[in-house]
Amino acid sequence: MRRGRSWLLAAVLGAGAAFTVGAAQAVLAQGPAAATQDWKKEFEEICAKTQDAMALPMDELKGLVSRCDKLKPRIEKLDESQRKVYSRRLQVCRDLYQFVIESREKG
Amino acid sequence: MAVPLRIAVLVVLLAPVASRGMEVVPAHRYGLVQFGNRAAAAKVPPVSFDHWSHRARFTCRLCHVDVGFAMTAGQTGISASTNRSGYHCGACHNGKTVLGGKPVFASCSAGVDVDESPSCRRCHEKRDPEKARRDYEALAEKFPRKGQARAVDWEEAEAKGLVRPIDFVEGVSIRRAPLKMDKEISIESSGWMTDVLFSHRKHSVWNGCEVCHPEIYPSTKSGTKKTSMIGISSGESCGVCHTKVAFPIADCERCHVKPVR
Amino acid sequence: MRRWVAFLAVSAVVAGPAIAEQTGAKKRRPLPPEFGRVIINNASEKAGLAPVSFDHWFHRAKYTCRLCHVDIGFAMKAGATGIKAADNQAGFYCGACHNGKLVVDKRKVFESCGKALIGENRAGCLRCHSVGKNVTPMVDFKTFTKDLPVGRFGNGVDWEKAEETGLVKPVDFLEGVSIPRKSFTAQKDFALSPKLQGMPDIIFSHQKHTVWNGCELCHPEIFVGVKKGATKYSMVEIFDGKYCGACHVTVAFPLIDCGRCHARPVQ
Repeated sequence: MRRGRSWLLAAVLGAGAAFTVGAAQAVLAQGPAAATQDWKKEFEEICAKTQDAMALPMDELKGLVSRCDKLKPRIEKLDESQRKVYSRRLQVCRDLYQFVIESREKG
Repeated sequence: MAVPLRIAVLVVLLAPVASRGMEVVPAHRYGLVQFGNRAAAAKVPPVSFDHWSHRARFTCRLCHVDVGFAMTAGQTGISASTNRSGYHCGACHNGKTVLGGKPVFASCSAGVDVDESPSCRRCHEKRDPEKARRDYEALAEKFPRKGQARAVDWEEAEAKGLVRPIDFVEGVSIRRAPLKMDKEISIESSGWMTDVLFSHRKHSVWNGCEVCHPEIYPSTKSGTKKTSMIGISSGESCGVCHTKVAFPIADCERCHVKPVR
Repeated sequence: MRRWVAFLAVSAVVAGPAIAEQTGAKKRRPLPPEFGRVIINNASEKAGLAPVSFDHWFHRAKYTCRLCHVDIGFAMKAGATGIKAADNQAGFYCGACHNGKLVVDKRKVFESCGKALIGENRAGCLRCHSVGKNVTPMVDFKTFTKDLPVGRFGNGVDWEKAEETGLVKPVDFLEGVSIPRKSFTAQKDFALSPKLQGMPDIIFSHQKHTVWNGCELCHPEIFVGVKKGATKYSMVEIFDGKYCGACHVTVAFPLIDCGRCHARPVQ
């Protein structure tokens, strides 16, 4: 009986381990794809407001600029074509928010 | 007396400089432009274009701004194809636009063979200098003459109403509110010549604003464009027009009008 | 010896301007179909292809400037974008639309730099890589523009009026590329006074510009000044391609049409 229980324990632990490994693998496999979706989603969220930049409060503008700065290194790691296109798009979007900030501070 | 070599070389080098723009061109040949040298590929003689027949009827602005001709022979890029598309000469020479009571003959309209298409010969023909002189004299006898070449004084002709140059052609020009600029500009002359008085009014009658601004005079700030008679005689500034088409710089007193200070 | 050298130097200085080319006269004006033409040659010749000849008129009749220059990311100077066939094949730049799949006006947009197109003699590439080659455009300029309002200079089309009257409806959104936006905070129109007395004031309309450009296209790259009135724009700089001249020399209505901007009657 004791041997049966240790087999059962081994089986449960083994299944648990396999499940965990499997789940981890699944998460890892999803990892890059999820990260891809993440940076693009972040980019779209940040830069969707450029048309309303003039109406946004200062805090929000400054927050958007710093989010741009945080996103930049992630975009720099993408493949050549994506990097070329999105680093330019991010730059243009960030510069606009910065421009509005400066217009309010100095204008 | 032996001429020192250096002096001789200087004279040879500078002779064209000194005389450029000062030679007296016969009136009927002044303003002659030859272009269409690429037409040789189509076995068609180049075009000899006399400015005088057009400027008696149209302003400089109409052709050089509205139609868009360049002001250097060969630069515009005129071809039979552009003419047939209604650009360049074809802007008026299309068989349809009515000027002077009748439709203007179409340019480059007919087939490719210039010998079978008599209308090609109206422009693509080896120039007969004697006929050109007669035609010019026939036109010019009604107008005041001036200068060393006894050429038509277009300025006076326009001022007296003897010519009324057309500045607008339907389908070619688009109306804009006229910009008023009547300032006279005094240009100091270095050396012994009297100062020059530049009249905007006299120039804008023929040129509007766009013939000169911005290509010839980019800045409207007085005194920014410095030139010299040598520069002018080689086609800079005033020399863009006043060496080849408008009255030549050989007629000094037409510009150097201000009394000696 | 030194005297000779000095003498020759002086002669050259004196004779130089006389021998120089005529300056300042009207140059060749691009014909209406040619106005807005951009020659792109980052890698074409290196790859054994003719440079690309891109005419703006056809695209600007269908899309806003913003879509290509902000969303897709094209630079505003020929050659500055750095487009490669690989980028197009990956669905960027020209390939964002020219992918053989997108449907516009009931037709599939032809693929650019498509691997299948690159046949033996690369005939499929000629459609764009056409400088110096006798390629007839698919769309005839005269037919395309015949019902559009006539403009002075440039393409001979008043694009502003065409958009206002709905004759052209430039698309501002590309699925998968553009970010969906909801609103737009309109900016004011204002007057600028020219330095030259007698020239009418310039009426700058934000509305007329933002309909094509949005905000990011001009700010801050073209118009850096944050304080209104601090930057003085000179016509010499503008003719040279700065400020308004970034667009109004080569693609938008050219600056020779003074009255389009200097529009307010002198008080």
